[in-house]
Amino acid sequence: MPASLTAVLLGLPLTLVVTAAAFALGAVGGIPLMLGLRSRFTPVRLLVRLAVDLLRGVPTIVWLFLLYFGLAVGDVRLNSLGAAILGLGLVASAYLAEIYRGGFAVVPKGQTEAAQALGLSRTTTFVRLLAPQALRTVLPTVTTFLLMLLKDSSLASTVGVLEMTAQATAFSRQNVSTAGLTPFFVAAGVYIAISVPLAIAARVLDARLSGSH
Amino acid sequence: MTASLFTPAGEAATAGVTIANLAKSFGSHLVLDDISVTVRPGSVTALIGPSGSGKSTLLRCVNLLETPDAGTITVGAQTVHAGRRIADRDLLALRRQVGMVFQSFNLFPNLSVLRNVALPQQKVLGRSREEAEERALALLDRVGLRDKAQQHPQRCSGGQQQRIAIVRALALDPRAMLFDEPTSALDPEVGVEVLAVMRELARDGMTMIVVTHEMQFARDVSDHLVVMADGRIIEEGHPATIMAEPAQERTRRFLSAVLER
Repeated sequence: MPASLTAVLLGLPLTLVVTAAAFALGAVGGIPLMLGLRSRFTPVRLLVRLAVDLLRGVPTIVWLFLLYFGLAVGDVRLNSLGAAILGLGLVASAYLAEIYRGGFAVVPKGQTEAAQALGLSRTTTFVRLLAPQALRTVLPTVTTFLLMLLKDSSLASTVGVLEMTAQATAFSRQNVSTAGLTPFFVAAGVYIAISVPLAIAARVLDARLSGSH
Repeated sequence: MTASLFTPAGEAATAGVTIANLAKSFGSHLVLDDISVTVRPGSVTALIGPSGSGKSTLLRCVNLLETPDAGTITVGAQTVHAGRRIADRDLLALRRQVGMVFQSFNLFPNLSVLRNVALPQQKVLGRSREEAEERALALLDRVGLRDKAQQHPQRCSGGQQQRIAIVRALALDPRAMLFDEPTSALDPEVGVEVLAVMRELARDGMTMIVVTHEMQFARDVSDHLVVMADGRIIEEGHPATIMAEPAQERTRRFLSAVLER
């Protein structure tokens, strides 16, 4: 047990790096995609809609293979970590764009009308009024997505990133007669140890925000 | 900080509003059919009529929340012609002259009461934060809500929220005010607080156009009553006269229906 725990924990930093980097990429990349989905210009809207559906329509693991084995700029290929972060991040940006869009869609129309009637600019209305309200609405959904991403980071093992799941698999193979399923139970325990406090923190934040609301 | 708080002192505090030959369709449905209304500076016009008569759409055309298909709108010296492309500059110039109060208050839930009133002043008029908040507090004080300044609007009652919404609009020193059924979402005893503020505003000489079902308010406060039905003005004139002796059968039916409630 301690041996398998040590082995699994070796992968923890990469699990956290892949999750955090892909989430950051998705959270930021989702903003322009969301703006595109809300664009007043139909061609822009259709193009971004197509891109988002394409990103979401292909399994993440397929994106990882395509990026890792297929993408080459000249002689330069993505390393496994780069491919994992980029693949998970791109897919995350598509999902988060949809989540953001949903958040803006539920801000009442009266908010925009009141801002217009007051003579506020489109930018001020968006940045100071609509975005904070939308963000507030989507916070629980975004947290759920982050927890899913934490678990999906295990897909990085398929392109050779030695994160927790890869470490558990390796340890299990090296100790076929003794380890059994233990490393996977250990990995499950570590995933839970990260995700449950995260979920609790998000609920606390949510309750605090709705308290002030 | 006396009686002139509501209306900016000095040159031409309030403006008249002239609506001429306004038309508007939603798809093939004609909601405004050749509407002309003149509102003198400092006067109060009440717009009444059955739902679907076009009165809210007319009001929303005045500050271009709805774009009319034809006609002109003049507020003070600012005229906008429908049918042509309206430059952003003209749109903003018109909206800066006119304040609006909505049925559903539409306060910003992500901002405190104070910031609701101060932020537009900073962004639209370029006032400093201190100046804007000072003005906000003075106006909130005037409607008895200074102690709510740091709260979020959702913590306030409907009547309080609507008074805050009025203050938010007034803080921008408008030269005319539009009210779109300001008490319809409120219980009658709460609506009274809002109507009291509106009466005071009228006394201060603010130009007001009020879409309302409050017949007593329309009779007591307004100088001019406009009755609409099916996108047209069917009758207009002195409120007491129309209410006592409506010239149109349609007006009579509407008035008795409203008064029976």
